[in-house]
Amino acid sequence: MNATPLGLRRGWTEQLNLWSDRKELLNALIGTVGTYVVLVLFIGGNNVPGTSVSMAAFMTPGFLAFAVFSTGLTVLPTLIAADREEGTLMRARTLPRGIRVYLTGRAVTTLLTIALNAALVLLVAVPLAGVAAPATPARWFTLVWVLVLGALAVVPIGAMIGSLVSGPKTAAAMLALPAMLLMLISGVMFPLESLPGVVRGIAQVFPLYWQGLGLRAVFLPDSVLAAELGHSRPLGRAAAVLGAWAVGGMVLAPWLLRRVRGR
Amino acid sequence: MHDVVIRVRGLRMAYGPIQVLNGVDLDLRRGEVFTLLGPNGAGKTTLVEILEGFRTGWSGEAEVLGENPARAGDAWRARLGVVMQSWRDHPRWRVRDLLAHVAAHYEKPRDVDELLATLGLTEAAHNRAGVLSGGQRRRLDVALGIVGRPEVLFLDEPTTGFDPEARREFHLLIERLAGEEGLTVLLTTHDLAEAERLSERIAVLAAGRVVTCGSPAELARAVQVPSLVRWEDGELETADPSGVAWDLHQRYGGPVPGLELRRPTLEESYLDLIEEARGTRETATVGGTR
Repeated sequence: MNATPLGLRRGWTEQLNLWSDRKELLNALIGTVGTYVVLVLFIGGNNVPGTSVSMAAFMTPGFLAFAVFSTGLTVLPTLIAADREEGTLMRARTLPRGIRVYLTGRAVTTLLTIALNAALVLLVAVPLAGVAAPATPARWFTLVWVLVLGALAVVPIGAMIGSLVSGPKTAAAMLALPAMLLMLISGVMFPLESLPGVVRGIAQVFPLYWQGLGLRAVFLPDSVLAAELGHSRPLGRAAAVLGAWAVGGMVLAPWLLRRVRGR
Repeated sequence: MHDVVIRVRGLRMAYGPIQVLNGVDLDLRRGEVFTLLGPNGAGKTTLVEILEGFRTGWSGEAEVLGENPARAGDAWRARLGVVMQSWRDHPRWRVRDLLAHVAAHYEKPRDVDELLATLGLTEAAHNRAGVLSGGQRRRLDVALGIVGRPEVLFLDEPTTGFDPEARREFHLLIERLAGEEGLTVLLTTHDLAEAERLSERIAVLAAGRVVTCGSPAELARAVQVPSLVRWEDGELETADPSGVAWDLHQRYGGPVPGLELRRPTLEESYLDLIEEARGTRETATVGGTR
């Protein structure tokens, strides 16, 4: 079988194996979705000061971005580090096209986890927290491509991090701080306008900023465009940056993983 | 040269200042079961991993199926089967799912259910790999190694944790694969009986070098070591144990207190060879002094 369909099937089996473990499933969901539900139900009803936008609407794109970001850059590396420790990655190296199949599989599990997170956030947001669903088909389309491209942009980076750290515990410990920092500077928690220019520049190199921007374009009205850098949301540029990360990562990650020793 | 499947010349490898392989030469012919025997730390696993294509940074020549393992691609890899030491990968996967998944990487894999039956795993087919017993897990590893119908099979200490019956079954399987299908097997073990049982040729690897290579009988001859004579006041290694015993009788003028006479087993001969290679062999202590 070709590497891609085999990898897709591998990812599906892997995900079923994971979901059949209830503890793992809860772990995967409680962090992001749980925090979102608590915040949205307690403070979601208030408006963001000086605007007509509810806190819930403001938090929704932020949490979606965070779900993608944390799944790709902390959950995935931890899984890969565990696979390395257990020898699953080494097994892949003993098989023809094994690394490609393995990475495709991990990409599938990550995308499925992100999809589940996003679906749950939306299921809470729209009926319970009163967040307006994307108003037009074009916005739905934007939602989908931003989530997918955003995920594809972080999956290879996550895979590379996972292949470099020494073990699953190290991965979790090492990634928490940089992930939090990037969250803070990427404008998904509060507007970038308030940060110094250098920090804004750094933020715009990383995919998280562009993903947040794309998601705000889906959920926030143009009336709060003033809070964006340059008072606009350039979706074309967002697609280009996310795409560049995705393609660059997909070239680099298999190359790197083939070279990493680990049993 | 088409029937030489693995060819190694002057292979060297160092980890930092430690020289692990010190100029290894080997030839494996198609369809033979070849055993690499040696103590822990002799470089067996390193040598095997170089041949499997998982290590770089070595020097010398190494060819597996006509290609340099460090640079060969997926088509080459599809012709190899690898059973490494102590796998515990894919713990959440069910046995049959994992075997079928691995089989799908190959063009003409073996029948998964038949293979499970052959290795006595049919009853465990729906168990998760992580809950198998040591012997079952090892048999799964072997199944994963041969499901793709490899031409060369690397077995790194395959029967660790097998009970005698499982070991016997495994030996029969390897003999069958090598005999009927022309599979070439490179086996590493420190079990001498296993080496003797399975392989046409054995190479003893010690201190990064092949110290002897040949059939089990040749090996036994090559490693003849002296017998040990021990009595209450001393001990002596000698090629002529009964002569020494006679001399002692004369000296004591009767029965020798605590006389013990031991001829070396194949295992001891082998250990002696290993020690010699390490250069740590102590000279025989001469008896009579305290």
